[in-house]
Amino acid sequence: MLTEVLVSLLAGVFLVLALNKYPRVAGVVAFIISLLPFMAVLAWAGTMGITVPSYLKFFTLETSLTYNLGPGVIHLAITPLGWFFLMLLASVFPLTVMFANSFVKRNAGGFYAAMLLTMFGSFGLLLSQDILSFFIFWEIMSWSIFALVLRGHDRRAIVSYLAFGSLSAMLILFGFMMLYYKTNTFLFADMHLTATPLTLAALSLLVAGFAVKGALMPMHAWAPHAYSRSEEPFVAFLSGGLSKLGFFGIILFMYGVVGMSVISSWGTFRGVPWFGYALAVIGAFTAFAGTVLAVMQDDLRKLLAYSSIGQLGYIAIGIGIGTPLAMTGALFQALNHTFFKAVLFLAAGAVFYRTGKWKISELGGLGYKMPFTFLAALFAIFALAAIPITSGFAAKWLLYEAAIQKKFLFVTPIMLIAGVGAFLYAFKILYGVFLGEPRYDVKEAPLSQLIPMWLLVLPLVIFLVIPGWFVDITAPILRGYGMQPIQHTLFSINTGLATYNTLAVIFGMLGGLLVAFILYKWKKQEVVPHIDNYLAGEPPELYEHIGMHASSKYFEPFDEVFGPIFKKGAERGWEIVLSAAEILGTGARKIYTGIVGDYSIYVLLFFIILVGWWLLW
Amino acid sequence: MKHEEWKKISRIMSKRSLWMVHFCTGCGAMEMPPVMTSRYDMERFGIFAMATPRQADVFLVTGYLAVKTLKRVVQVYEQMRDPKYVIGFGSCTINGGMYWDSYNTIKDLSKYIPVDVYIAGCMPRPEAIIDSFLKLMDMIDKGEAIGWQKYRKYYDQYKRNQKMAFEYRLDEVKPIKEDDKNES
Amino acid sequence: MVMEIVDILEKILILAGMVTLGFAIGMLFNGIARKVSARIQNRVGPPVYQGFIDVFKLFGKKTNISHGWIFDLAALFSVSGIALAFLFLPVAGYSMLSTDGDLFLILYLLAIPALGFALGAGASGNPNAAVGVMRALMSMLAYELPLVMVMVAMMVYYNTTSLANIVAAQANMQWAFFIPIFFIGALVADMALQGMLMEKPFDIPIAPHEIATGPMVEFGGKHLGALMLYKMMGTVVETTLFVDLFLGGGVVLSVAQYGWLAYLVNFAVWFVLILIVFLIAVMIDNVLPRFRIEQALKFYWKYDALIAIFILIWIFAGVKI
Ligand code: SF4
Repeated sequence: MLTEVLVSLLAGVFLVLALNKYPRVAGVVAFIISLLPFMAVLAWAGTMGITVPSYLKFFTLETSLTYNLGPGVIHLAITPLGWFFLMLLASVFPLTVMFANSFVKRNAGGFYAAMLLTMFGSFGLLLSQDILSFFIFWEIMSWSIFALVLRGHDRRAIVSYLAFGSLSAMLILFGFMMLYYKTNTFLFADMHLTATPLTLAALSLLVAGFAVKGALMPMHAWAPHAYSRSEEPFVAFLSGGLSKLGFFGIILFMYGVVGMSVISSWGTFRGVPWFGYALAVIGAFTAFAGTVLAVMQDDLRKLLAYSSIGQLGYIAIGIGIGTPLAMTGALFQALNHTFFKAVLFLAAGAVFYRTGKWKISELGGLGYKMPFTFLAALFAIFALAAIPITSGFAAKWLLYEAAIQKKFLFVTPIMLIAGVGAFLYAFKILYGVFLGEPRYDVKEAPLSQLIPMWLLVLPLVIFLVIPGWFVDITAPILRGYGMQPIQHTLFSINTGLATYNTLAVIFGMLGGLLVAFILYKWKKQEVVPHIDNYLAGEPPELYEHIGMHASSKYFEPFDEVFGPIFKKGAERGWEIVLSAAEILGTGARKIYTGIVGDYSIYVLLFFIILVGWWLLW
Repeated sequence: MKHEEWKKISRIMSKRSLWMVHFCTGCGAMEMPPVMTSRYDMERFGIFAMATPRQADVFLVTGYLAVKTLKRVVQVYEQMRDPKYVIGFGSCTINGGMYWDSYNTIKDLSKYIPVDVYIAGCMPRPEAIIDSFLKLMDMIDKGEAIGWQKYRKYYDQYKRNQKMAFEYRLDEVKPIKEDDKNES
Repeated sequence: MVMEIVDILEKILILAGMVTLGFAIGMLFNGIARKVSARIQNRVGPPVYQGFIDVFKLFGKKTNISHGWIFDLAALFSVSGIALAFLFLPVAGYSMLSTDGDLFLILYLLAIPALGFALGAGASGNPNAAVGVMRALMSMLAYELPLVMVMVAMMVYYNTTSLANIVAAQANMQWAFFIPIFFIGALVADMALQGMLMEKPFDIPIAPHEIATGPMVEFGGKHLGALMLYKMMGTVVETTLFVDLFLGGGVVLSVAQYGWLAYLVNFAVWFVLILIVFLIAVMIDNVLPRFRIEQALKFYWKYDALIAIFILIWIFAGVKI
């Protein structure tokens, strides 16, 4: 059956391309096909030790498959890690496609085709068991993303994605070549690596290559542009789903292929391997810098892009620390980020759909006009800010606990302060877009946009109440890497340092809300229009045309303090690299003078060196 | 507990916690700082200056009101929440004081918004201000400070007067005609 | 089964009683603070029960205005969130729910009322409110850095993140305050507490003379009453957090040894300690002017955080793994 799934995903690409004339039909077809990966996830759930009711099992799938393609063999198999990430991608993907139905107007067939191809690539990537198929699927995924970035018609986004995409592919390819040179096999399972410098180099290259997709600093430079200039349904999938593939790669090669014992043998510091420590520090820096940069943005999409970068940094911290606690935290953060960031990007899309504006300073007051979009976004923002009434908190909490357990005295405060920074930009979104003065008289977003958003909110609630399920889901992954799953019951997690009981929080909150509600319902109230506001006694008519929305340059003192340090820091760094490459390139280009005589001298020189070397040896 | 007793308690509460918004229009505002600070210390009666009308209970109109200013006074008064009390401060709010023949100051504040307590004097001493507050507290306790109810009841008359004033037809402003019985 | 239900009901009753006590102490503290300020300024000042009167008056207002349902969220979230944060603190060594959470949870629970409040303030559409919230968030970012640094140092030192365990580790008067390095830590955290309590020089968010009480500008009547409750309870929660961290939660007698007498004494000591911590903040409040927001940020991140980094390095050097 696996072949059929793969083939029908591919066939779907051509089908929707053929239906380009009828965008609505293409959308429906694409949606139906996009459900296939999710069905596959359900079909495989049993092998991961998760019982799924039989009416949710649409077909049975084999757990492994090989294709003999003449020169190479493609090994596909489902692993716990692959299944987990496939679950994330496959649950976001159909919903973004559904959202696209009303959102994408121009050349819709092409959009759906590229989306399906992206999913096809990711699907294969998550199943692949050898470096050859891994690379092929990685490139399919990368290039179809490029096709989608192209649709944004933004030169900066296209060029930066192209540059970093190729950089990432090169790094990964070099890493694979080293691995192959070392082990003489394509199969992950057959690679028994030892702790040699070459392995370290290969792993570093691979991690750097995957960090591009995961938007870790300093490889993030493409992300703000690509995230902010493409269509929202795709960006929701890119940020929510595809960015996790980078972390999938890092986990796979760090803990699966190379293994914890090899990494540790390069030296440890306070019980954490140096390699992981470096990754954690990079992650912490990314989390902090991404957050600070997000606060400074005025473009809603740019803000969300930088916030994505910041939140993904947390995953890197967890992977770097590498204890069971930290790994669970990292995977939990991956899950949360998948859903809340998808909701936020979709909500931004819905706002744009209705108002046609991206700038936070030009929006405002949509909360009362689009209440359901607002509530979904509010919930996602609570998850982003790790407020304990969503599952967002449990993930960050696990990461903090892991850091304290390993006595990360300097990384933990940075993580915590980045968490506080998240409140700042979270409120910027809330106030700038949804609260304050109503500036647009718009309707609520259409149902085909609301349903995806609300379905995506669902997991954030489920795992808030029952974090134990999540630990159970990730247990096979941890066991695969020789780690013990953390102590938990359905509703509470015990880390050895402290316990977190969600029931206490939820019932406490509900009880508090009840009391507050009674207090608040005690007296009647009347709703006054927005214009009836305290303006130092000034009659409101005077302000009708002036506007009272204070969202432009909202965090100005913040910008003044951090702006000089952070603005364009990373990009300026890359520009220096670029200009150095340019100088080198122009220098090298001078060799090609175009005079035949010079070339013959080169050949002669080369020959003399070659002969001399041979003679001397 | 009976309804009457609740009312009594709530009256005691609002009497002991008067938050005021002082509208510093005239020279009389000069007398407020000594009232607030160490010398006369009105906080010992629970009187506290708040920043916005939404939070306040007492409206202190300190002095003469030009027509332009009246607009703001009405706006602030309407933004305050019931129960709310007004203290007219100085002769200017009573009969125009030294601006009695001015073409653009209003003469009698109580024609535009209901005033509970007047303080005579030009300008009144802090003792007089404190005394007026005590008088207001006494009135609240007895249920006599019902300006806010009057404003609701004779809303159209007040509005008409305000409109006349805004159009500078000050001679057409009439005193508020009240019915005989005022329920508290 | 019946026994369990009775147990749960008893627990709920105790929790409700504690929360009521917390609110009552908060209101009392409001009055005490005003009385003390008045005495410092050579005034008579209001009676100490002025806080109760104010809150009851606000809830007794006859008409209330709202700017829509998002505006109302402020009242709901602020009261419930701060009560929840209080429940997760060990009070005088008595842990209500504090074994079900830890310091990180408390830090984030404290954000619920703040964000809820900010939501309501934003929904009012008043520019002053928006500016006030911006300042509140900025000052939160500012004071949180030294605070979390000291907290992380303590968590690593005691090798637990649970506040109940930290309090337990300080039993028998082995308060962190008496350990030299954490004495410095307490000073750093006290500065952060000044910002947390929004007392001068860090009362930037509410600055009544600049931005008309900032976020509270449009709140009146019962909404303001709810916010007053939040602010008053906030003083109790924040000072208790400080006392739990550095002063052993006020535990002087062990419950196992002395029974109910220990509870009585501990609660009395706890009350005195939070009062002292609060009064220090009030006294600083009375003699200092107000910072600008970027000055506050620079103060916390330059001087306060620098000392905190010193503490971290000290702990870093001393800790064995
Ligand atoms: S009553 Fe006298 S002091 Fe008061 S405002 Fe009028 S002129 Fe000035």
